Amino acid sequence: MSLVEARGLTKIFRRPEKDPGLRGSLKHLVQRRFKEFRAVDGIELSIEAGESVAYVGPNGAGKSTTIKLLTGILVPTAGTVRVAGAEPHTDRMVNARNIGVLFGQRTQLWWDLPVRESLALLRDMYDLSPAFYKQRLERLDEVLGLADLLPVVARKLSLGQRMRADLAAALLHQPKIVYLDEPTIGLDISVKDRVRQFLRELREDGTTLMLTTHDLGDIEDVCERIVIIDEGRKIFDGPLAQMKDRFARVRRMHLQLAEPTPAEKLAERLPDVEVIAGDSPTEVTVTFDRFTHTAGQIIAGVLDVVEVGELHLDEPAIEDVVRKVYAGELLR
Amino acid sequence: MKPYLGLLRMSTRRILTYRLNSLILWIGGATFLAGSLAVWHALLSEGAIGGYDWDQMKAYLLVGWATASIGSAYGDWWMASRIFDGHVATDLTKPLDYQWARFSEHMGGLATEFIAITIAATAIVTFTGGLVVPGPGQALLFAVSFLLVAPLKFTIAYITTMACFWTQNFMGVSWAKDAIVTLFSGALIPLALLPAWLAGPAAVLPFASITATPAALYLGQATGWEALRLLAVQAAWVLVLWWGARLIWRRALRALTVHGG
Ligand SMILES: Nc1ncnc2c1ncn2[C@@H]1O[C@H](COP(=O)(O)OP(=O)(O)O)[C@@H](O)[C@H]1O
Ligand SMILES: [Mg+2]
Repeated sequence: MSLVEARGLTKIFRRPEKDPGLRGSLKHLVQRRFKEFRAVDGIELSIEAGESVAYVGPNGAGKSTTIKLLTGILVPTAGTVRVAGAEPHTDRMVNARNIGVLFGQRTQLWWDLPVRESLALLRDMYDLSPAFYKQRLERLDEVLGLADLLPVVARKLSLGQRMRADLAAALLHQPKIVYLDEPTIGLDISVKDRVRQFLRELREDGTTLMLTTHDLGDIEDVCERIVIIDEGRKIFDGPLAQMKDRFARVRRMHLQLAEPTPAEKLAERLPDVEVIAGDSPTEVTVTFDRFTHTAGQIIAGVLDVVEVGELHLDEPAIEDVVRKVYAGELLR
Repeated sequence: MKPYLGLLRMSTRRILTYRLNSLILWIGGATFLAGSLAVWHALLSEGAIGGYDWDQMKAYLLVGWATASIGSAYGDWWMASRIFDGHVATDLTKPLDYQWARFSEHMGGLATEFIAITIAATAIVTFTGGLVVPGPGQALLFAVSFLLVAPLKFTIAYITTMACFWTQNFMGVSWAKDAIVTLFSGALIPLALLPAWLAGPAAVLPFASITATPAALYLGQATGWEALRLLAVQAAWVLVLWWGARLIWRRALRALTVHGG
């Protein structure tokens, strides 16, 4: 059995159906009508120990709701969840010891007290020995620069600092499974990079990781598996590389030519391919469909016309790919 | 045990960071107590009412005010707001019993509440010329019942808070609860002075255990077996409400919808 297993996982919310305005509100008071809304719709998911999974989808896709179901916060409307053999919402206490959770949009720190106090409370909650606690703080300081934050009242932290402190709080007890819901939301680039670096180290430590995001930059180098959901349904589940292979048709090659060559001349030799002149007369960019041409064919074609100095192939950008998946262009 | 004591300590520290806020609250509370004393002083100048003379009424008002103060520093609002703003989500991922955890936080206010009560008692002794004190036996009975007020008030607040899971609104529920508790506990006026149609429900509701019971024990209105019976009723309410809250909580969790991210 996998570490995390969800079968037919479904959550239906009831939303009040109100007509607009005061009239609508009053009417709703006497005659309550609700519309059912499937936030998560029959999700099947198995995560093995040590895997790191990116859970991706546009806003409102049902990512956070899935995390809340997997962590035992919400009770599923239908379907089952098992995490390390336990059912999260019934064996809440058992499950809580196995998991670490971060909700990027809210903090678990005590807002009015120094960060150190919140961490000390977590030490007591998880029954950590003083030696282990000290060792964890040192480790978290190395990767998150925690030491500077310890004496600061949580309310006074910047968003980036708060996220680092919250990550430390979620990981203090070295949980088997870590769920991170939008861990980089609202952060500026440099802090984002730092958090991503931290996630890579976490993965290398062998922690099982599930990460939701709508910022696809979080995924590369951190997760090898990607699950894409939209409107509560899973629309892709597989290795990141496979997703790129399957869905990223368009590739881009940048060439440094031995002598100035007009783009049109290359375009004549390479039909069905887009050739664009670069910044200098000796640079061109060739954009081609991976399903109709190979990189080798392109290079051979260019070499017929002119010698090539350098060349460089863009990795398919997952942003582009996922965007197309969202747009329904690439349904399997 | 350790994490719950930790929560209690953290809660106390948080309350202390809001010293000014607390101070204003206590000044308001003290004003109310002083006002009640003045009103009853005037009413009782002609002689005792309903068996209460001025000395007894002073003690009654102090006990009533003290029992009303228990649990007020933490504030039910904290508990409710965590449900509204979604922080309940992080609370639920901790290896703690939710009810014990909230109880521990609730108890975090006791330190400041006891300080305030001591100050109020001292002020009454100083400015009104003394205070009736019970003998050692009654004092012990009173102390036990006063301690039971803390869990009793907690369970009532906790159950009220859970109404939020369904109503999505706390203000109305909270005001209604406060009004009912104040009236039926005897905190507003002694239950003996209520008209029969109000005294009836007051006798069967749990709220009398909050104020009327400790006051009766303090003033020696209930002694011997009657005193023990009152304590037993009080303890029974604590248990019934504590376990009732657990049942409601289990149902509330199914209704829980955590908003936002
Ligand atoms: N408590 C709730 N009540 C009603 N609808 C909700 C509730 N929580 C989330 N939703 C709805 O469910 C959908 C999925 O939400 P969520 O899981 O938060 O999406 P994501 O995290 O992918 O952005 C959204 O349309 C959201 O409006
Ligand atoms: Mg979300």
